[in-house]
Amino acid sequence: MLAYTIRRLIWAVVVVLIVTMVTFAIFYLMPPGDPAIRFAGRAPNPRVLDQIRENFGLDKPFYQQYWIFLKNLVTGDEYGWPGLGFSYDTRVPVRNELLDRLPRTLILIAGAAVLWLIVGVTIGIISAVRRGTLVDKAAMGFALFGVSAPVFWLGLVALFVFWQKLGILPGTGYTAFSDDPKEWFLHLILPCTVLAMLYAAFYARMTRGNLLETLGEDYIRTARAKGLPERKVIMKHGLRASLTPVVTMFGMDIALLIGGAVITETVFNWQGIGSWVIRATTNSNLPVVVGVVLMAAIAVVIMNLLVDILYAYLDPRVRYQ
Amino acid sequence: MTDPTPGAGGDVLLDVRDLAVRFPTPDGVVNAVDGLSFSVSRGETLGIVGESGSGKSVTSLALLGLLNAQRSKITGEAQLKGQNLINASDDQMRKIRGKQIAMIFQDPFACLHPMYKVGDQLIEAVRVHEDVAKDKAMERSVEMLSAVGIPNPRQRATDYPHQYSGGMRQRAMIAMALINNPELLIADEPTTALDVTVQAQILELIDEVKKEFNIGVILITHDLGVVAEVAQTVMVMYAGRAMEHGSKEQVFSKPLHPYTWGLLESIPTVTSKGTRLIPIEGSPPSLIRVPPGCPFHPRCPHRFEPCDKERPEFTDRGGGHPEACHLASEEKDRLWHERERRRATVAA
Amino acid sequence: MKRTRLLAILVLALGLAMTAAACGGGEEEGGGGGTGAAAPSGESGFGTATGPANKGGTYRVDVESAFDFTDAFDPTGEYTALGWSFYTLMLRPLMTYKHVAGADGNVPIPDLAAEEPEISDGGKTYTFTLRDGVKYAPPVDREVTSKDVAYAFDRLADPTYGGAGYPLYYQAITGFTDVADGKAKTVAGIETPDDKTIVFHLDKPAGDFLYRLAMPATAPIPEEVAKCAKKAGDYGRYPIANGPYMVEGTDKLDISSCNTIKPVSGYNPEAFLHLVRNPNYDEATENPDARENNPDRFEFNINSNVDDCFNKVKEAIIDDTLCGETPKQTKEYTENEDLKPLLKLYPDDSTFYLSMNLTQPPFDDVHVRRAANFVQDKVGLIRAWGGPVVGDVATHILPPSLVPDSLEGYDPYPSPDHTGDVEAAKKEMAQSKYDTDQDGICDAPECKNVLHIIGDSGRERGMVPVIEDSLGKIGITLNTRLLGDQYSVILDPTKKVPFGGGPGWGKDYPDAFTFFFYLFDGRVIPKEKGGVTYNEPLVGIDDATAKSLGIDLPAGGVPSVNSDIDNCVGTADDTQRLECWGELDKKLMEDVVPWVPYIWRNNSTIIAPSVSRWEFDQSTGNQAWTRVAVDQSKQQK
Repeated sequence: MLAYTIRRLIWAVVVVLIVTMVTFAIFYLMPPGDPAIRFAGRAPNPRVLDQIRENFGLDKPFYQQYWIFLKNLVTGDEYGWPGLGFSYDTRVPVRNELLDRLPRTLILIAGAAVLWLIVGVTIGIISAVRRGTLVDKAAMGFALFGVSAPVFWLGLVALFVFWQKLGILPGTGYTAFSDDPKEWFLHLILPCTVLAMLYAAFYARMTRGNLLETLGEDYIRTARAKGLPERKVIMKHGLRASLTPVVTMFGMDIALLIGGAVITETVFNWQGIGSWVIRATTNSNLPVVVGVVLMAAIAVVIMNLLVDILYAYLDPRVRYQ
Repeated sequence: MTDPTPGAGGDVLLDVRDLAVRFPTPDGVVNAVDGLSFSVSRGETLGIVGESGSGKSVTSLALLGLLNAQRSKITGEAQLKGQNLINASDDQMRKIRGKQIAMIFQDPFACLHPMYKVGDQLIEAVRVHEDVAKDKAMERSVEMLSAVGIPNPRQRATDYPHQYSGGMRQRAMIAMALINNPELLIADEPTTALDVTVQAQILELIDEVKKEFNIGVILITHDLGVVAEVAQTVMVMYAGRAMEHGSKEQVFSKPLHPYTWGLLESIPTVTSKGTRLIPIEGSPPSLIRVPPGCPFHPRCPHRFEPCDKERPEFTDRGGGHPEACHLASEEKDRLWHERERRRATVAA
Repeated sequence: MKRTRLLAILVLALGLAMTAAACGGGEEEGGGGGTGAAAPSGESGFGTATGPANKGGTYRVDVESAFDFTDAFDPTGEYTALGWSFYTLMLRPLMTYKHVAGADGNVPIPDLAAEEPEISDGGKTYTFTLRDGVKYAPPVDREVTSKDVAYAFDRLADPTYGGAGYPLYYQAITGFTDVADGKAKTVAGIETPDDKTIVFHLDKPAGDFLYRLAMPATAPIPEEVAKCAKKAGDYGRYPIANGPYMVEGTDKLDISSCNTIKPVSGYNPEAFLHLVRNPNYDEATENPDARENNPDRFEFNINSNVDDCFNKVKEAIIDDTLCGETPKQTKEYTENEDLKPLLKLYPDDSTFYLSMNLTQPPFDDVHVRRAANFVQDKVGLIRAWGGPVVGDVATHILPPSLVPDSLEGYDPYPSPDHTGDVEAAKKEMAQSKYDTDQDGICDAPECKNVLHIIGDSGRERGMVPVIEDSLGKIGITLNTRLLGDQYSVILDPTKKVPFGGGPGWGKDYPDAFTFFFYLFDGRVIPKEKGGVTYNEPLVGIDDATAKSLGIDLPAGGVPSVNSDIDNCVGTADDTQRLECWGELDKKLMEDVVPWVPYIWRNNSTIIAPSVSRWEFDQSTGNQAWTRVAVDQSKQQK
């Protein structure tokens, strides 16, 4: 078991390194252009451009830059540990900005995740149990809507209805908890709900499908034959078996969202990781892109590990390889 | 209605009258069970025999109320110690299931929940009917596991189903079924998914358990060999109806229905070495379009005039051995002996 | 099955209904302070707000997506118009402008200087006396001295800090290039005989020198703080104001040592810039022609959702916008009589153009270039920009405010309604060596599949079919490539791009020198590989440079206007200089023909009903922050 865990951790580190290497390669091998020119003033001669490139560390060949990147990552740079350099655009240290924005993205994801898990799974259960009835059809209709409605449209409509027209919820922007806890919470409601919609719909369908399949299994019949009340049959026996794929999906969904819930953050002016990295990508802002990619890769690897562990806990059959 | 119930002599646990189960489907009504009557007494093992689609499993599921109520129509009576099981309320049925009537199924691997420990599943079976503390329930579970012959039961109770072998799983199922001391055990194809050697063990276990706990057993199977081993009484089903019902000796040595004749002739036994196997021609009918008259008549080599028009009544023409066939008793005698002779001759 | 389908249709219908409601939201009046609040008194969409200059309150502005500063808000190198507009509140260089619209807004007036300078030595020496009592924001606290101004120039000349900006304007100062070349640490030609006097010595006269002293890089900088900035852009995290406003939190800076200086709290480059009053500011030192200093506080907040920006300004939840209007807003505000006064439109002194590379076929032939000017449907291009509201058709290089009256209505390539004159184009093309059968349609292979680089923004995509269609009429077919970062390609002469559809140019200060010098002077073309230039057509490139860059010149070389530029910039008299630039514009359009100019852009801004006073600042091409005022009673949360 220990050897297995160590092997997995080493492999995880390798994966993360490969991801960052590929990001570097893409930046240099794809032709998005030379960021130095944007910052080079009106009539830059080669000397000025060289100076700027030197400031950005762009004057070296890309494998050397990658090596410097790795070194700074491990030992830290002038801005602290880990050393992620500074954003070309604003010269803000990537590490500081990342630490500032990450909690905002995380709380958005956490809120949405709680919502979509509860709503999605509940609707899925009700739908499966009342299969074929109007409730089921309505639930699947909602699921279709949630899956098809583009997030940015949902966000704009939500703002329009709840903020502009009804005025019961505040508009865009993020308020820190330390500034005003009530406002912080109110500002969370719309973006979390909008982000959760798509996933809730998806999870409802998935839960319904899994549960229906599980309810056809023999051990469900056994449970009934034992005299268990139907509610227990579904919730204890049925759900347990149908939730393992849901758990796997949940872990991966969260991991991917950590890389940035881009659309939601942009529509709600959320100042999180997503809106930041998207701008950085279009502006060839390498340090920001690499910093976020690194963090996202780590998040995926960690969540993968957690999901595997959770899965083994839920389904004893996979424990013994 | 006549009362054709050959019993084993103990007091009657379950008395079924005119049980019918219909499934309305878009293609038509499926008559899964079409007028079935029988009874089971304490100490008796009733073997219900038939091909797939004969309605034998549906019967037991219907008795326990395990069929989808929205998709099935069940009529008839099934008296369990004075209570009618048919169309009883959910609440009432839940109290009966696992407590007064227990059921075990064919594939023990699929029938135990893969994610809960075996011991926990047994505990659950106890606590659903009785308000018993967990450790007491665990004691009982360990006892039962031991009683069904599982070695090292305390350790084994903490294992998961996939850690058991096939035979052990079925033993565990039996333990789980009997943990609340039911009066009737229904075993639906309990050995079909097991190795031959294990089969014998399980059947023996069922028999032991029946004697020890003094319960009644309904053993559903397609395998006449299984029936020959452990059953006292045998009921042959076809197309949702009973064709013949008698003691094991009666049915095996002097069968009174052409279908039973066909069944007996188509199984190899040790003694029939050298004799030819004769399969029954044709295939079982669609239960939506059951042939008029006698359901077996299209495949019956001895059919005659009334067979496709009149449905033969399931009656006892003497000897506590009812059957449903238009042939006169003497005819049947003659035909059966002729068939036996022919089989023996061809072999030589 | 059937019921699911019905349900799906219902859901879809519901969705469409909600979309319609959301899109139709334009009709309704705003919630809180919308309807009742009157627009600023009197004026229509093209006028200024001349309402009461309410003092106090917070002026709240949403900025779309990002500040996009080029040197991280470090005044020494920052050259975005937006950054300069913020500096009008914080920094006082020797000279400034009146920060109003129109020609009056382009007249330099003394700011830090107590009065106009004394000019001597044939225009080569400028002597300034500084005002008394102009103090830096806390914690620096002290009075500004002439040494601070000299230090700003030293910093500007130092390639480490100033290279990112516009140091070329100051090469006329004696000794400036020595610092740029690393031969000296300070600019020898700047003298500071005492704390209140500063003298500039120029190598040769520069008639527009006063303009150059109004640029924010020349504003005084306290060396004790700026020395801590190790590289370009660093000082932008804690710039010290000497003007009426400072970055919020400047007073909390710990400047006792370089290790203790942290980024100022009021400026988060990714999120906001907040300015508050400089407590050390003495209103008596102000030049009232430049500033009114009405609000107590300015908030510039970044908003990633453009729709939200305009929703908020409509409700007066914010007061002003730095967001790009889409046709939706433009249409809404121009068609609604109540809203019209809230849409401000001003030409921002910029020209956008299609650039033709004089060294690459087929544009190495002047007849082809003239034909391109005749045939281009300029109105079609403007439609791709969003319609006539966005700007006027450009008929020559300089925007109208930078040319003399004699160029009023000057259009060397007229066409009916500016949609292109195919016949005139063909007549011109027929004289080209690439039209072998002289039928007016180019048939040489050099006219086929000509590489065309353009950006991938929405309006540029919209322009592509119009360009291709127009040029197609004279037989030129384009191989169009849309690039997110077009500039790194078209600005690099070694890439030899024949045709660029995206570029535009705005003035740095109100003199045509800021156009011609960077755009058409052959001497700004880098002599070795690895440099870039905004002179995309490569006007005035000489043989040596071309050889060094690996570019083949057409027979007879490429026309040059270097001496014309030198001539005009040396003219001290303003009126004569203006005429000189006008003539150069004509010469470029008729004889050199490097561009097809097509639009003189308007800056459009939508403000809220809570704004009581508003002006356009012609010098920065943005709002005149120094003059705006807000009516607090009309502001919503």
